[in-house]
Amino acid sequence: MDFALSADEHAFAADVRRFLADHPPDRFPVDGMDAGYGSGAHSRAFLRALGERGWISLTWPRAFGGEGRPLMFRLVLFEELALAGAPFGPLAGCDQTAEAIIRDGSDRLRAELLPRIARGDATFWQGFSEPGAGSDLLSLETQASRDGDQWVIRGHKIWSSHAGISTHGLVLARTARGGRRQDGLTMFVVDNATAGMDIRPIRSLTGEVYHYEVFLDGVRVHRDWVLGREHEGWAQLLRGLDTDRFWGRFYKAPMLTRVLRRLVDYANTTVRDGGWLAHDAGVRRRLAAMATEIEVLRVLFYRIGWMLAEGLPTPYEAALAKVMADEAGQKLAALGLELLGPHAALPPSSPWAALAGEIQHLYLTTMGHTIAGGTSEVLRTTVATRGLGLPREPRART
Amino acid sequence: MDFRLSDQQRLLVTIARDFLDKQASTAVAPAGMPHERGLPADVWREMARLGWPGLLVPQALGGSGGSMLDVVLLVEEMGRACLGGPYVGSAVAATALLLRGDPRARQWLPAMALGERIVTLAVAEEGASFAPDSLAMAVDAPGRLEGVKLFVRDADVADTLIVAGRGAGGLNVALVPRDRAGVTVTAVALMSGENVFAVEFRNVAIDTSDLVGSPGRGLDLLRAALRAGALARAAEMVGAAQRVLELAVEHAKVRVQSGRPIGTFQAIQHACADLLRNVEGARWIVRSAAWNADCPDAGGADSRAADTAVATAKAWTGEACLAVARRAHQVFGAIGYCEEHPLHRFHKQILASSVDFGDASTHLETVAGAIGLAPDAV
Repeated sequence: MDFALSADEHAFAADVRRFLADHPPDRFPVDGMDAGYGSGAHSRAFLRALGERGWISLTWPRAFGGEGRPLMFRLVLFEELALAGAPFGPLAGCDQTAEAIIRDGSDRLRAELLPRIARGDATFWQGFSEPGAGSDLLSLETQASRDGDQWVIRGHKIWSSHAGISTHGLVLARTARGGRRQDGLTMFVVDNATAGMDIRPIRSLTGEVYHYEVFLDGVRVHRDWVLGREHEGWAQLLRGLDTDRFWGRFYKAPMLTRVLRRLVDYANTTVRDGGWLAHDAGVRRRLAAMATEIEVLRVLFYRIGWMLAEGLPTPYEAALAKVMADEAGQKLAALGLELLGPHAALPPSSPWAALAGEIQHLYLTTMGHTIAGGTSEVLRTTVATRGLGLPREPRART
Repeated sequence: MDFRLSDQQRLLVTIARDFLDKQASTAVAPAGMPHERGLPADVWREMARLGWPGLLVPQALGGSGGSMLDVVLLVEEMGRACLGGPYVGSAVAATALLLRGDPRARQWLPAMALGERIVTLAVAEEGASFAPDSLAMAVDAPGRLEGVKLFVRDADVADTLIVAGRGAGGLNVALVPRDRAGVTVTAVALMSGENVFAVEFRNVAIDTSDLVGSPGRGLDLLRAALRAGALARAAEMVGAAQRVLELAVEHAKVRVQSGRPIGTFQAIQHACADLLRNVEGARWIVRSAAWNADCPDAGGADSRAADTAVATAKAWTGEACLAVARRAHQVFGAIGYCEEHPLHRFHKQILASSVDFGDASTHLETVAGAIGLAPDAV
């Protein structure tokens, strides 16, 4: 066993830190909300800066224009960006989509999209959930029917992050009926500019827009823009979902480390009820306990990353780690609010807000984390059945 | 990074699992009947034959030159078998201390590696703290020891005590034969069925030749022992919690209520998922900390990092494994309340391990310092 980064990985981490020093993250314009997962706000400009450096395609094979670096480098990049609070919001989605296109995409999809992704010009939203299909995704009703070389999609997608400021959606639709529910689904890459798309913002509890709902009314997509095989979209989704749980949460531990550091500074410099917060035994103990939990998360996530890099199966590990990461985030945010005392109730934008309102903002956004990408309840069931072999609950007859 | 066990480590774990499964019926104290010696002598001899007491000892001194990572893998298996006895105290903590000692101190190691000599640490005092700066007893050489050390393990089978205390120029650690005049040992039973001891020192003579290392330089030695002991106890908890998880999952699969196995109910599934989370988190933070402790410590900074890694692992693991035991009671229902059911033995072992070599408060205070919280003004 070896729990340290290699010399090459250390050198790369130093490269990333130098890049961040040369490109201070707070100088980049932000065009989409930071939803608190650790990937910061959505900034197209920052994404393009990463693209210029070759870091969006860092781990792609050279044949597809990448640098062919091992997967561990991507983890190092995410960790350094999250520790710095950089606005790399769409990066994980770009990575996962590119990976799927490289693995399963048509030649045309590869030729048209990969160079744009690598530059930071193409970003993606996920069109999976529907008003009637949340945790029970297989009850989705969006349909696509064939018309010559094209598919025509009709339906209503919802809870699609940053859909209105992305360039393309990954839309899962039913293309055949009969057989099992998981058969006959197809994954499409849909250009936001296609006729028939209506993308509407949903204002979140912070007052900002993160999610969108998307109405697709006769949206035409060429067959070449199917991701993977037709009617086998469920397998495509499962592969994506599991890695989504991992990649969508890997940067949470370093993000929480950054927040913890801010709270330590706050405790060191704040007097409450006649004493320094940092001298309060309860405060010390609880901040330290959070530090231990974050460290556990970091080790678990790096282990999963290593397993993925080794090609080992991860039937439940990402689900387990996601639940833990999201609950740890909620715990730290709640502890942070407690430290703020009466300041806790101020909205993030208040001129009186301590730490620029970051803790309140995080607290509110973390409410969504244990729901998005698989609720903690669904994922605990995954861990119990796939990780421990417990028998499945009998399915309700419908 | 590499999260794989080496071939040798896999072999160590396989042999340990096999041996301990066979011994389990005899080695584990029957519920409510603490073994007088913590571990039957024949089991200890078998463990010695397998080379386990010498795992940390260099080959030149008769051991196998293993690492702390090897130790936590082995001790995890011991915890899974609820095995008591002097392994952690003597073969891990005391050995780690003597390894860093002067050549004279290292002369003790060959006999310890063979399991022929057992050495134990006498650290905590009335304040029941393992933190080095909490120690009040004076250990000066030449001089006299006066006072009481509490929560000393294995003092019935150990022939030598390592006593830590304040010296004129800093912390001292001294090797004191248990039968030296003025040393009195009194057993106190733990819930886990093991004994700890109060060791009273009355006018006990200490000579300079009893000190390990030069006068006033004992802090690093003691810290090495505390790191090793805390890691081993943490690994023991991981193993015990792993066994609790296995038993709980097995129970959830076969226990039928309302016409179906209780493991099909989400309330039970989710409880079991949380047990797995805690066991896996604890296992990997302990292994990672052991790896950190193995890194050659070139000086203060590095051993500080190792202290933080170990404190992190011990604090989190203690809480996580206790939570496993408590939640498992809920999965087992009434049967887990019975003395004949094994759950409470593992629960009590976790409890005992969680407070040995520093409880959660002590370790969290180490972490609090490491993350930069300003020291208390007091």
